[in-house]
Amino acid sequence: MAEIGNDVFFATITELNARLKSKEFSAQELARAFSSRLAQLGPRYNALALPLPQQALRKAREVDQDIKRDRLRGPLQGIPYGVKDLLSLAGQPTTWGAKPYAAQVFNYNATVIDKLASVGAVLAGKLSMVELAGGGGYRYASASLTGPGLNPWDRTRWSGGSSSGPAAAVAAGLVTFAIGSETSGSIVTPASYCGVTALRPTYGLVSRYGAMALAWTLDKLGPFARSAEDCGVILQAIAGSDSKDPGSAGKSFYYTPQYTRPLKDLKIGYAPADFSQWAQPAARPAFDAALGVLRQTGVRLVETKLPGFPYGAVLSTILAAEQASVFEPLIASGKVDELADAAQIAGLKASLDVPAKDYLKAMRVRRLVQEAFSRLFTEVDVLLAPGRPAPATAVDQPLDRGGPGPGGTPAAAPADPGFRSIIPAGNLAGLPALVLPCGFAENLPLALQVVGAPFSENLLLAVGKEFQARTDWHMRRPPGV
Amino acid sequence: MNIKLTRRQLATALTSAAALAQTPSGPPATSEDDLKAARDRVQANGAALARQEVPVATEPAFQFKA
Repeated sequence: MAEIGNDVFFATITELNARLKSKEFSAQELARAFSSRLAQLGPRYNALALPLPQQALRKAREVDQDIKRDRLRGPLQGIPYGVKDLLSLAGQPTTWGAKPYAAQVFNYNATVIDKLASVGAVLAGKLSMVELAGGGGYRYASASLTGPGLNPWDRTRWSGGSSSGPAAAVAAGLVTFAIGSETSGSIVTPASYCGVTALRPTYGLVSRYGAMALAWTLDKLGPFARSAEDCGVILQAIAGSDSKDPGSAGKSFYYTPQYTRPLKDLKIGYAPADFSQWAQPAARPAFDAALGVLRQTGVRLVETKLPGFPYGAVLSTILAAEQASVFEPLIASGKVDELADAAQIAGLKASLDVPAKDYLKAMRVRRLVQEAFSRLFTEVDVLLAPGRPAPATAVDQPLDRGGPGPGGTPAAAPADPGFRSIIPAGNLAGLPALVLPCGFAENLPLALQVVGAPFSENLLLAVGKEFQARTDWHMRRPPGV
Repeated sequence: MNIKLTRRQLATALTSAAALAQTPSGPPATSEDDLKAARDRVQANGAALARQEVPVATEPAFQFKA
C-alpha cells in the first residue's frame, strides 16, 4: 500500500489527478486516507455533517477500474470532495444544518452530485452549514446543528457562514474541494475567513436542483478549492443547462482562461477607501501588497464608485419574502422554534410580514441595479474589493452587532462608502465573484474578491491565475494540520 | 420527495459526527425583543424601498418561462 503523505491532502486537483494516473497511489488508497482524515479532523472544526466512507470507497474502486482500462474522465477523476449539507444525496440525511430537518432524507441526488459522479469525483462526506443557510439573520456562529464553525487557522475564530464546513474542510486539507452555496455572502465570507480560493458563479450557471431553496432568485452553488485553476476545472464539470432548475441559464462553461484578453488591457475598478479606511488597520499592509501584485500584472486599477441603490434593503426584502414562502410550513408548524438561534427564529417569523408591494418594488429596483451594473461593466472589466475588511471574527462574537475590534467596522464609519455593498449588490445582479487569499492579519487569512459581469468567469479566473502565479497565499496551510 | 427513516437509520444518522459535534445547550427562546427588532427591520426596508424612485415602465427582475 502506498504511503499517503501530508502533502497529498493539500495538493491541487491537477497534481492529485496526475499522481493517480501515474499510479503513485490508487483512488481507493486516496479515498481511504481522506475519509479517515475527514472523520478524524472534521469534528475538530465542526465541519463534518455526515461521513460517507463506504460510498467513497465504492466510487474509488470504480475509478481504479476505469483508470486501469484507460477510461479517463478528466482531472476530477478520483478526487475526494465534500458538499454542503443542503445538497440532497439519495438515501442519506440532508439536514440543511437545522434540527427540524435532522432526519430528512430525499430519494434523489442533486444535479451537481450527479455531474461530479459522472466525471469520477469521489464524494467523501457532507459538510456543515449555518442552519437554513442563515436566511433569517443569525446572531451567533452557533446557529447550526453541528455547532459553531471553527476556523482551522485559529479555533477561537469563526469559519464564516453559511458555507462553514466547505471552507473549513478545504482549508484543513480534509477534502481537495467542496461545493457550497451563496444567497448573499455565504461563499465569499467563509472562503475569505478560511483562506481558500472560491468561486460564486453567475446566477443560473450551475443547477440548484436538489439544493435547499432559500431564495429562488438569489441562490447559487459554487466551488471551494486550492486555486483559481481548480475552481475553473470544477466549474466546467458542474455548470450547464438543467431543465429541472427553473432558474437555469441554459449555458455551459468551458475553462479557457488562455483565451481571455491580456491582463495589460484590463481595467479593474476599485474604491481606495475599502483598503485604506474600511479595512481593519492590521489588514491594510496585506491589502496594499496585494494591490501592488495586481499592478505588476499590468492591469490598470481605476477608482470607481458603485451605482447608488439601497442594496441592503432590496436584498433583505427579496430574501425575506422568498424564504417566507419556502419556510412557511416550518414557521406555521411551530417547529421553527427548534432552531438554534433566537435571532434567526425571529427573522424567519418576521419574514411573513413582508408586503407583496415591497417584494415587487424590490424586484423592480433590482432591474435598475442590473442595468446600472451593465453600464458599469462598459467602463471597467472587473471590480475589486476585500473579501471581508477584517479577518475572521471571534467565534462567540455577536454577528449582528458591529463596532470596533476584530472583525468589526471602524469606530467612526468613513464618509466614502467604497464597495461596502458589493456582496448584496453582486448577488442582486447575479454577478460572479472569485475569492483569492491575499495575506494575513493577526495570523488569520485575508482575501480579495474579484467581481465580473455575468458569465465572465473565465476572465475572473485568468486574473486569479495570474495573481496566484505571483503569490503563494492560496497554498498556505493552517498550523497543526 | 421525502422518505421516512427507520429507527436504525435515524440512530445511525444521529450518532454521526453531526450529532456528536457541539450543539447549543437548552431550547432556544424567541424573545419578544428579537421579534420586534426583526419586524422593525422589515418595515425599515419597506420605507427605504418607498424612497427609491422607479420608472413606471420598469418590470420586476424575474422571469416566467411557459
